[in-house]
Amino acid sequence: MTTQAARLSGPPPEPGRESFVTRLRRRNWFPYLMTVPAVIVVVAVVIYPMAYSLFVSFTPFHLLRPDTTSQFVVDNMFDNYARLARDDVFWRALWNTILFMVVTVNTSVLIGFGLAMMLARMTFAMGPVRVLLMIPMMFAPVLIGFQFAWFFNATVGLVNNALLTLGFISEPVAWLVDEPSGMISLMLASIWMTVPVVTIVLLAGRLSLSDELYDAASVDGASVYQRMRHITLPQMRPFFVIVMVLLSLDIARAYDIVRIMTDGGPAHRTELIWTYAGQLAIRGSQFGLASAMSMTGVVLGVVFTFILFRQMMGLRKDMG
Amino acid sequence: MRDSKSMSRRLALPMAAALAVTALGAGTALAQDEPAYAGLDMDLSGTTIKMAAIGGGNYEAMYDSISMFEEETGADVEIVFLGDGFEIDRYLKTNYAAGTVDFDVAWNHTSFMSQFTNFVEPLQDYFTEEELAAFSPSIIDAATIDGNLQLIPRHADISALYYRTDLYGDEALQAAFEEQYGYPLEVPTTLDQIYEHSEFFVGEGAILYGTEFAGQEEAVAGRFYELLFANGGDYFDADLSPIFDSEAGIASAQWMRDLYANGLVPPDTPNLLWDGVAANWCNGDVAVYLEWYGWYGYFQDPESCPEVAGNFGMARGPVGMDAETHTGWAGAHAFSVAKDSENKEAAVQLVKFLTSEAVSFDESNTFGFLPVRSDVSERVVAANADTGNPLDAERWELANLQVSEDFRTPPLFADWISFTNEWYPTLQSIILGDVSVEDGLAKGVADAADLLDSLGY
Repeated sequence: MTTQAARLSGPPPEPGRESFVTRLRRRNWFPYLMTVPAVIVVVAVVIYPMAYSLFVSFTPFHLLRPDTTSQFVVDNMFDNYARLARDDVFWRALWNTILFMVVTVNTSVLIGFGLAMMLARMTFAMGPVRVLLMIPMMFAPVLIGFQFAWFFNATVGLVNNALLTLGFISEPVAWLVDEPSGMISLMLASIWMTVPVVTIVLLAGRLSLSDELYDAASVDGASVYQRMRHITLPQMRPFFVIVMVLLSLDIARAYDIVRIMTDGGPAHRTELIWTYAGQLAIRGSQFGLASAMSMTGVVLGVVFTFILFRQMMGLRKDMG
Repeated sequence: MRDSKSMSRRLALPMAAALAVTALGAGTALAQDEPAYAGLDMDLSGTTIKMAAIGGGNYEAMYDSISMFEEETGADVEIVFLGDGFEIDRYLKTNYAAGTVDFDVAWNHTSFMSQFTNFVEPLQDYFTEEELAAFSPSIIDAATIDGNLQLIPRHADISALYYRTDLYGDEALQAAFEEQYGYPLEVPTTLDQIYEHSEFFVGEGAILYGTEFAGQEEAVAGRFYELLFANGGDYFDADLSPIFDSEAGIASAQWMRDLYANGLVPPDTPNLLWDGVAANWCNGDVAVYLEWYGWYGYFQDPESCPEVAGNFGMARGPVGMDAETHTGWAGAHAFSVAKDSENKEAAVQLVKFLTSEAVSFDESNTFGFLPVRSDVSERVVAANADTGNPLDAERWELANLQVSEDFRTPPLFADWISFTNEWYPTLQSIILGDVSVEDGLAKGVADAADLLDSLGY
C-alpha cells in the first residue's frame, strides 16, 4: 500500500476489532439476496394480510360499509374481542374445533398406522393396494364434502337406505342434524381424506427400519407385541411426529368438508372456528368481528404447532 | 325504516290491479300480435357483457334466450357466476366490498337490494318513462331509494299453499279424518288445520311427511316471518326494535317445533333449502306445504315430477291467530347494473332484453312466476284460459287475490340479511328442541338488538 493510500484508509484495524460497517462490507450477501423473492412473497401473502387482519379486528369493519375500517378508536379497540368472550357460539365453536382436531388427527394416525403395518407385511399386490388407498387423495375436499353429504342424507342417502333395507333402523336418521352424529359424520369424512397421507408416511417409515433389528429380536424369542412395543414404535416415533404436525397444520382444509356437509349447523351444532368466522364475515358482513375470531384461530394453530415442534426438537436431541 | 306492512301494500295493490284488468280483458285478441323484445336496437359487436346470475330450479331456463340477444346485437354474454339466492348474495357482497367486480349485470332482489345501494348503478336515466311504465309501478317505486332506481324487476313471487288432491279427495281418508277430528277434511285454511292434517296423514301412513319448510338461512327466517304476521305479530316495530318474542312469535315457533318434534316434517329439515323442499314435494313425500308460484311449471311436468304432476291443487295461504291475516311472504327477483361496470350501456341493453315482454311472458307462462309487467299479465291469463288443466287458469285468479290481499315483503332495511343470518341458528335451536321456545325467542330478540346497535341503528 502506498503512503498516501495508507494515510487515506486510516490506521489498520486491530485484530478482532473491525468496525460494523467493515463487517457488513466483508459479509457475503449473495445467499441473503437469493432469499429476497421468498421474503417478499411471505410478507405480501402472509405478514401483510395477517397484520391487516389484526388491525381490522380492532375496528367495527362492516363489509358493505368500507368507511368503517377507519373507525379505529383506541377506547373501543377490544370491543370485538369482548363480544367474542360473551358469545356462547364462539366458545362452542372453539371447543368443537379442538375436539375435531384431536379426534381426527389421532384416529387418522391410528388407522393409518394399522394400514401401514398391513401393507408392510404384504408380499403380493402391494402396488395396486397402494393405488386404491391413495384414491381419497385425488379428491378435492369440496368433492369429499359433497360425497359424504350424499352418503348421510336423511332421505336419499346411501347409509340410511342401506340400514333401512337391512332392517337395522325403521325410520330415517338425520345423521347431519342430530347430535353427536353430525360431528361424527364430519370427522369420518375428514379421516377418510387424511388416512392415505398418514399411511404413506408411516409405511415409508416402517420400510426404512432395518430388518436386522427384527431378526435379532426373533432370535431372542420376542413376540409380535414385544417387537412392536420395543422396536417398531420407538423407531417410528419421528415419523409419527411428522405426520401429526402435518395433519394439525393441514386440518384447516376440513373447512371445505364442513362448509358443504353442514355449514356449521344446524343451530351451530357442528360450528368450527373457521365456519363461524366465515359466516360472520361473509353472510353477516361483520368483518371486524370475524377477524378477531381468526386471530384466536391463529393463536390456536400456533399453540398446537409449538407443542408438536417441541416434540420434534426433543426427538432430534434424542437421535443426536 | 319503512313499515313493511305499508310497503307491502304499496307493492301489492297496483300489481293486483294490473292482474285484475288483464283477467277482465283476457278476451282481447292478443294472439294476433307477438310479444315484443327489447334491448336489441344497439350494435354491441365486440362487447363482452358479464353477468352474475341466480341459478337452480327454474331460474336458469330464461338464460337460453341470451343466444338470441347475442345474435341480434353481436355482443358476447358470459355468465361468470351461477348460484342459488344465498350463494349469489355472498358472491356479490364479497366482490362489491373488495372492489373486485368482474360483472356488468347482477342479480338483485327486493329483499336484498337495500344492502347493495352503494354498488349498483342508478338506472332511471337509462330507461324512458314509457319503458318504465310497463313494469309494476309499486315495485319501481319501492326500488327507488333516494331518487335512484336500484333494479329492474324480473318476476315476482308469493308463497301459496300446495296440497295433494289425491289425499284430500280420498273418501276413506275423509271419513277417517272426520271421525277422529270432528270436522271435514278439506283444504286447510288455518295453521292449526295444517298441523292436524299433517298429523293425520302421517298417522294413517298415507304420506311420509305431512308438511315441510326450508330450515336454514333466510328461507327459514322468512317462513317464520310469514307465520309471525299471520299470527298478528312482526319482527320489528316502527323504531326497528325487535318484538318477535311476542305471543305471535311463541305461537309461530311452537308450530314449527311441534311439527319437527312429532316427525311431521323431514328429519333433515334444518339442512333443507328451496331445492330440497321442492325435491321432497316432487317425489310425492309431502301432503301440503307453502311454496312459491315459480315451481308450478316444474311440478306440473310429468317428466320431472311424475308423482305429483296433475295431482295437486293450490290455495290461498292459511291464517293464524289473527283470523284475518293470511300468510303471503313475497318479493321480486330483478337485475341491476354494477356501478363498476365498464359496459353500462351494453349491460342495460341486456337487462332490457331479459325483462322484455317476450322473455318475461315465456318465463311466466312456462314456469308460473308472477309477471311484473301488465302486458305480460294480460298474455299469461289469455294463454292459460284453455289448456285442459283448470289449475293452469285458476292459479292466476289465486295469484291476483294473494297479491292484492296478502303480499308482504320482509322488513326493507339494509341489514335484513345480516339479521336473518344472526337469527336463523337460534330459530333452528328452537325447532330442534335445544332451547325452549321462550328462551330461544328471548335470545333472538337480544341478539337482534345487539346486532342492530353495533350496526348503528
